Amino acid sequence: MSGRMELVCPAGTPATLRAAVLAGADAVYCGFRDETNARNFPGLNFSPQEMAEGIRFAHGNGSKALVAINTFARAENTDLWRKAADTAAVCGADAVIAADIAVLDHMANNHPRTRLHLSVQAAAATPEAISFYAQAFGVRRVVLPRVLSVQEIAVLNRAIDVETEAFVFGGLCVMMEGRCHLSSYATGKSPNLNGVCSPPEAVSYVEDAEGTTARLAGFTIDRFGAGEPAGYPTLCKGRFTAGDKTGYLFEDPVSLNAGSMIVALKSAGVTALKIEGRQRGKGYVTEVVRAFRRAVDAAESGGDPVEIDGILAGLSEGGRQTTGAYRKTWR
Amino acid sequence: MAAGNEEISLPASARRLLPPFAAAPFGPLLTLSLRSLARRRPGLFERLGEHSTARFLIDPTDLSFAFSVVPDGASAVVRVTGKSGSAPSDVVIRGPLLTLLGVLDGTLDGDAMFFHRAIAVTGKTEAVVALRNAIEDAELRPSDLLGLRGVLARLADAGILGGLSAARHFAADAPVAKAGQA
Repeated sequence: MSGRMELVCPAGTPATLRAAVLAGADAVYCGFRDETNARNFPGLNFSPQEMAEGIRFAHGNGSKALVAINTFARAENTDLWRKAADTAAVCGADAVIAADIAVLDHMANNHPRTRLHLSVQAAAATPEAISFYAQAFGVRRVVLPRVLSVQEIAVLNRAIDVETEAFVFGGLCVMMEGRCHLSSYATGKSPNLNGVCSPPEAVSYVEDAEGTTARLAGFTIDRFGAGEPAGYPTLCKGRFTAGDKTGYLFEDPVSLNAGSMIVALKSAGVTALKIEGRQRGKGYVTEVVRAFRRAVDAAESGGDPVEIDGILAGLSEGGRQTTGAYRKTWR
Repeated sequence: MAAGNEEISLPASARRLLPPFAAAPFGPLLTLSLRSLARRRPGLFERLGEHSTARFLIDPTDLSFAFSVVPDGASAVVRVTGKSGSAPSDVVIRGPLLTLLGVLDGTLDGDAMFFHRAIAVTGKTEAVVALRNAIEDAELRPSDLLGLRGVLARLADAGILGGLSAARHFAADAPVAKAGQA
């Protein structure tokens, strides 16, 4: 990969879209206010009119706009996904981010001029899987699952003929993405079909003298003492006691921060760097995008690396950060 | 943007200026302000959806009173009330006053404040999420709540936001006392 890396930034609302663009995003990604995108939370996302206005604002300021239609269409309601795809194309989206082969097929057949990016929800991490999506639907870019090391990404990039996009900051989802059923098991709703992991109506926080208890659909998933950092109320980041041991069963509540690996990711052939967090506010987005804008520009110009870990530590889930699978120190 | 700034409680001297009896006028004034805002920017409350009729208890931990808010657009109601537990509510949001105002004006990130336990939330989580997202998108300025326009709006925004920023810096360095000790 020889061009400049693209900084792809989250936009959960029109205000956040404007903040991301003005902070230096090369591209923003956003979704409609329904089950077609994997951040279907109350009060979040865009109406069709807001999407059209947001895309115009992005284009007017030199940024691209990518529309996430990245949940899996349900048999009884496929029109919702068709309508979202058609609206995204009419609004002038630079690309649609999708995982479901029904959505990809609809886009390829009806809107062939709109780029297709394969969502991380497709969990495509092998040359065979990625090449299938490229050949069958003309997918131009794949968002990589957060389970690959930098070395594995380099090997993968040499074997495929599409762009790759790698997460560099934000919430971690290290399960096989698109195939996690923890939320479905506990609440009956899933990120894959309904666009919500741990739907807020199933989440409760109860305070007592010993601290705060986080519950998901009646399951106690963590207890925090006074002043102890908290994380998102997902089962995968729950803390449980078995026998005489208490610990995080699946993963710790930490944020991904691969700010120190931008040069390595570029060398591995990555085209775009993605910041997670459509559920976060414009203050967070502004600060993270600005920090990564400086870091990417420094990496592209061969300048000194920008130390961003300290700048962003206060915004991290659980107050802690990790380079995740990119640097698999356990191997 | 400050994040993880958990200790920005009002200093005791500031709290003495806000005894419970002085809070009484805030209820009617804030009610009028919210209703006026709803008339001027009706779309602002749409993001709340069904949660616009939820009752939010906003409990500044460094004041001796709290606010009960039903953000139902042109029918919005704000009441000054006692601390948590004294009024029925669907949601309780608790934190230092300057932190809560920082989340309201977008200076502070609500999730980061939650992760660092600077604010606490109990009750209907979906209503809190809807309120947070509606506030985020509203890009509220002090002049919006005061119903000001033009030069007056710019002066009010600069003065109030500058004052809040200075107050946060001052409070971060000042000794912290428990609410009710003032």
